Amino acid sequence: MNEPMTDPADDPGRTRRSPRWLKDPTTVGSDPDYRFTLANERTFLAWIRTALALAAGGLGALTILDDFGGEKVLGIGLLVLSFLTAITSYRRWSLSEQAIRKNEPLPRSRLPLVMAVGVAIVSLIAAVAFIWSAQ
Amino acid sequence: MFDRMLQHERTALAWERTAIATIVAAALLARLAVQVHPALAAVGIGYLLIGAGLLVWAGYHYDQLHGPLRRGESPVHPRSVRLVGRTTVALTGTSAIIAVLATVL
Repeated sequence: MNEPMTDPADDPGRTRRSPRWLKDPTTVGSDPDYRFTLANERTFLAWIRTALALAAGGLGALTILDDFGGEKVLGIGLLVLSFLTAITSYRRWSLSEQAIRKNEPLPRSRLPLVMAVGVAIVSLIAAVAFIWSAQ
Repeated sequence: MFDRMLQHERTALAWERTAIATIVAAALLARLAVQVHPALAAVGIGYLLIGAGLLVWAGYHYDQLHGPLRRGESPVHPRSVRLVGRTTVALTGTSAIIAVLATVL
C-alpha cells in the first residue's frame, strides 16, 4: 500500500459532512515510516493515560473525600476535564496521523496548555469552595 | 532489526500502561456507581473487562512480533487506537454523568 490514495473529501464538488478528525486516518495519504506512526500512537496513549488519571482523581475525590467542602466541584470538574481530554486526544492523534501520511507539518496541539490551565482552574475553584465552607 | 524491536517494545509498554490505567479508572467508576444504583456497577465492570482484554492483547501481540519483524514488517495499530479512543471517551463521559447523579441523588 505505497501509492498515494486520493482523498474523496478533496473532490471539489463534495460538501464535507463530518469533521476531518472523525475520518479513519488510514484512508488518507500513504503509509509512512512506521516509527512516526508508532510515535504518534504512543503520544496518543500517553494523553489517554492523562485523561484516565484525571478521571481517577475525580472519582476518588467524590468517593473518598467526605468533609472537604469542595469535593463535588473538584470531582465533577476533573471528570469533565477528563472527558474533554479524551476527545481532544483522539482528535490530535487523527489529525497528526493524517498529516504524517500526507507528509505535511503536524498540526499545533493545544492539549498541553488547555490541560494545564483546566486543572489549575478546577483546583482553584475547589480551593475556594474549601475555604468558604471552612468558615 | 533489533532497533526496530525496541520501538515495538516501547509501544507495547505504552499499550499495557494504558490498559492498566483503564482498569483502575473503571474500578473506581464501579465503586462510585454502586452509590447511585448497584446495577450501575456493571458499567464499570464492563470497561474493566475491556481494559483487561486490551492488556492481554498488548502482551500477546508483542510476543508474536518476531515472525513479522523477520519478514521486514512493522505492525501499527490504528484500529486499536480508535477502539481505545471510543472506550475512553465513553468511560470518562459515563463517569461524569454518574458523578452528577451521585451528587444530586
